[in-house]
Amino acid sequence: MHPFDIKAALLAKHAQHVVLIHFPIALFIAGVVFDFLAQGVKRRTLAAVAYYNLLGAAISVVPVLATGILAWQFQLEGQRLKGVLLMHLVLGWTSAILIWITWGMHARARRHVSKGLPIVRLGLETVAVVIVGLTGHLGGFLSGVNGPS
Amino acid sequence: MASLIATGLMGLGGITSRHNSYAASAQEKPASAAEVKIDNFSFGPMAITVSVGTTVTWINRDDIPHTVVSTDKVFKSKVLDTDEKFSFTFTKPGEYPYFCSIHPKMTGKVVVQ
Repeated sequence: MHPFDIKAALLAKHAQHVVLIHFPIALFIAGVVFDFLAQGVKRRTLAAVAYYNLLGAAISVVPVLATGILAWQFQLEGQRLKGVLLMHLVLGWTSAILIWITWGMHARARRHVSKGLPIVRLGLETVAVVIVGLTGHLGGFLSGVNGPS
Repeated sequence: MASLIATGLMGLGGITSRHNSYAASAQEKPASAAEVKIDNFSFGPMAITVSVGTTVTWINRDDIPHTVVSTDKVFKSKVLDTDEKFSFTFTKPGEYPYFCSIHPKMTGKVVVQ
């Protein structure tokens, strides 16, 4: 498929998932990086940047999950998954839940300024980045981005 | 006259028995088979020509899952993990293009003559 063939990309039954997935991955990792920076230099502006990146990740992960499930239903007719495909599905859901929890912690802290963000979130965010990276790696492996063109 | 009829019947019996022996030898002959290997995101050979009645077996030698799906919906495999196989017997002549539904740019064709 040509990268600028919009019609083919929109009509292909599982092309959307592999396009959309880049948004939550990039936004989440950027959000975590800004959160670590905000924690290190104690700047509220960086914390705000982190929050909005995490918000973007939390929102954009919804269509990614939807298109992933649709790809499973369309391309594989919902057959029972195993091996790498099953691992990708489980890690994908785990990543989504961790992204939502991370954003939820930041959103809660913004509503209750006096409480502040728990330092434990940095550990959770680190784990989440690793799982998101692993999910993306498996997704790239499955989509054949490293295969012959 | 009676001897002529008897001779004719014997001859017919001989033809019938020869016919039966040919049919038996045809049944005993093992069905032909062909194999297509899936590796490195491609089907090998990409196009294969077989005779009617041939069973084609696809075997996934790649380290990621693939499927074998007929473009005309004649056959469809489940997801094949590494070293898993899928077989289909072609009973009608024609061209059968197929692809991997996980990686649609992976295509192949079976020509049945």
